[in-house]
Amino acid sequence: MRSVWAVARNTIRQAVRMKIAVVFVVLLIILLPLMGVSVTGDGTLKGRLQTFVSYGLSLTSILLCLLTIVVSVYSLTSDIKQRQIFTVITKPIRRFQLLLGKLLGVVLLDVALLVLFSAIIYGVAIYMPKFYDSIEDELVQVDNEFYTARASLAAPEVDVIKDVDETYLRLKQSDQLPQDMPPSKIKAYLTSLKRLEKRAAEPGRELIWEFNNVEPIDPNGSLFIRFKYDVSVNPPDSHVHSQWFAGDYRQVRYGDKAETPIYETPVRRDPVRAFREIEVPAAAVAKDGYLAVGFLNVPINNTVVIFPLEDGLEVLYKADTFTANFVRAVLLILFRLVFLACLGVLGATFLSFPVAILFCLVIFFTASFSGFVLESFDYLTENVSSVYSYTIKPAMKLLPQFDRFNPTKFLVEARLLSWSLLAKVVGLMVCIKSLLLLLIALLIFSYREIAKVVV
Amino acid sequence: MQYAIETLSLTKIFSDWWGRDKVYAVDDLNLKVQYNEVFGLLGPNGSGKTTTLKMLLGLLYPTKGRAIVLGGNGADPKINTRIGFLPEESYLYRYLNARETLDFYGRLFGLPGKVRKMRIEALLDMVGLKAVANRAVGTFSKGMARRIGLAQALINDPDLLILDEPTTGLDPIGTRQIKDLILKLADRGKTVLLCSHLLADVEDVCDRIAILYGGRIQAEGKVKDLLQQASKKQITTAGISDAVLERIKQLIQNERVEYEVTSPMDKLETFFIKTVVEAQQQAKPTSGVVSTTEIGGFLMQETPKDILDKLVSTPVSQAAASGPPTTQAVVPAESSEPEPDEQLLSKLTGSAETARPKPVAPEEKVETQPVEPKVPEREQVDGDILDQLTDSSTPKDQDRKPTRQDKSQIGDPGDA
Repeated sequence: MRSVWAVARNTIRQAVRMKIAVVFVVLLIILLPLMGVSVTGDGTLKGRLQTFVSYGLSLTSILLCLLTIVVSVYSLTSDIKQRQIFTVITKPIRRFQLLLGKLLGVVLLDVALLVLFSAIIYGVAIYMPKFYDSIEDELVQVDNEFYTARASLAAPEVDVIKDVDETYLRLKQSDQLPQDMPPSKIKAYLTSLKRLEKRAAEPGRELIWEFNNVEPIDPNGSLFIRFKYDVSVNPPDSHVHSQWFAGDYRQVRYGDKAETPIYETPVRRDPVRAFREIEVPAAAVAKDGYLAVGFLNVPINNTVVIFPLEDGLEVLYKADTFTANFVRAVLLILFRLVFLACLGVLGATFLSFPVAILFCLVIFFTASFSGFVLESFDYLTENVSSVYSYTIKPAMKLLPQFDRFNPTKFLVEARLLSWSLLAKVVGLMVCIKSLLLLLIALLIFSYREIAKVVV
Repeated sequence: MQYAIETLSLTKIFSDWWGRDKVYAVDDLNLKVQYNEVFGLLGPNGSGKTTTLKMLLGLLYPTKGRAIVLGGNGADPKINTRIGFLPEESYLYRYLNARETLDFYGRLFGLPGKVRKMRIEALLDMVGLKAVANRAVGTFSKGMARRIGLAQALINDPDLLILDEPTTGLDPIGTRQIKDLILKLADRGKTVLLCSHLLADVEDVCDRIAILYGGRIQAEGKVKDLLQQASKKQITTAGISDAVLERIKQLIQNERVEYEVTSPMDKLETFFIKTVVEAQQQAKPTSGVVSTTEIGGFLMQETPKDILDKLVSTPVSQAAASGPPTTQAVVPAESSEPEPDEQLLSKLTGSAETARPKPVAPEEKVETQPVEPKVPEREQVDGDILDQLTDSSTPKDQDRKPTRQDKSQIGDPGDA
């Protein structure tokens, strides 16, 4: 253990004295406060905060990721190339201890730098309202929509199997089934059609979503309905008029005694294809955590309003504090760095410096865009995609999905990054994948010849 | 455990990219280095010396055969604890300064802080780099880097010292110093494997040598046996009168052999060292190495038991612990230190005849040194324990010559 620590100390010294770390640190120390002053976002205080935290954390994350790759790769490859390893490995230290020492050094460096920079970002974000003379409304808005951690409930998937079966049977009886399609395809088509129906409202019609397990921590606080419109025909001004309701719908449906109030908004006008939020008092939630949200497509719209499948409608409510969420977001970055450190050490065990760096960067960027790449496979034609789904797709699944667990996504939208999600990410990305990488690295390093052959 | 280093038909073949055999770097090498021996591995460039060393230490894996170092595998940390290795160049971390470098290596050995500090200072003194100890090693000249390399090889007070071209890049004083050091360490019962093509150095210090060529041993034996011209005799005297010389000449002529009478030349090395020492005494400034001829205190001194126990986890037997402490200055714990195996020592010195001065009896020691138990006491130690002791630690030669260096170190804090 002593020797592991000695190597770790030496690695940190190397990173600091060879000025690898210094370059990144100076860059960040200059950039972060500068950004705090210069970013404006959409001009509102919330926009400023969102832009700053998003850019600041992204920049910190990407620079530290690069630093981690460079330091972890450089530390071992330079030892081998410049042969300091001859004098180190002939001391009473096992090879796995040397690797662990290098890893520990890089991770400790990361932790120190991450704490420093996230503290700067946190400080600037907390004090930003005081720098600008913000009006009361803006302060309330950022309190509700930024300095918080909100859990989200997505619109529940509606069960359409019964509907589909009925329609299929009806079509079959009336002999209207298309002849050139197998039954399974017809059913799939009908399913998607029915699902779309449940997300679409013709003019004058209304849609209702029902949520369970809504548990805001503050019953006197607010809920937020977050939505985005798609339309069948684009209105001339790209805006949609609507009216919204929130409350215990069962009271209306079954005519029970009203226990919780039902809120309704005045007719409002929102742009299409943009996220908007409506604030509703948390009192609308029934005692058992039930909440229904209603949308009325006001007849003057003259277009069908569709809510996109993924993120058409969500209910958000405060579930934790901003600080706790921020800490977890930073931890998420740390796990990413640990993974990259293992990756760098692995690369260094069998590749030379430039090749190992390239290897790590390719994996890093692929992991950063894996969501996009995986999605794009789904759009390929069937024949081509079957090739990809057996080759590249499994390989991509092996990589961590950095973009899916992007910490800034959570902070900008003030979404709750729960401990359970964090644990899931840790369990998958760090514990399993990093350990796997480390294991391979240890195997390679334990069996390879350290010295090059010179005759 | 008969040999400190033993290789059994050690072979290293370098293959090309396709896996075809290309070069026999080391070919069926059977090397045997005894304990307490200074062994020289000679050979021209590319004869497989360094490859052999790397295989001994596990930096390269043999294609065939096996290398046994101190009775085990040279890559095993337990064995590594007792080895000091100086590679063909001092590969150092350029960004560390001299003191940090030694501290790093000391930590790798798990030396406790106090011991580490003491040894670092003693070693810096010894290699003459104390004045530049806070300068980055990257700014050192080749000879200075070599000295640090040597210091790191000695920080664990090794039983086996493997030196690859130790004197390259060193000035004559440094070279002389390394040679003295090797002799002193051998006196203390250490084993030294020296790899060099500087023949003068090897000749001066080695008991036995092997000459490698093309990865095979071409000649092997005691330096004296290989080099001594037994048929010739040389007489060296102080200045004698011409009359006496004439009479000697007369005597030799009677034998009817050829002869030659000259005044012996000073070796250039001796002259150089004399000159520099004189300059040092006049305290002329230098930015380089301030050489001393002193050897690091802890290398010459019995180390207190607790430190030694950490270095070599020897089962300390009661029988061996009978030596009473005789001086107040010595830590009482030292009494339980395992005593050297006198029989083995005599066997070794018998088998490996050396040009070294005979050790002086313990009674002649300097007053403040711990007086070691007498020989008879040691002989009471039964065979099993002896084997145990020799298994994990080579015998230490406590009999030391009370030289100038020794005396000068009595006050050295590093000694205690």
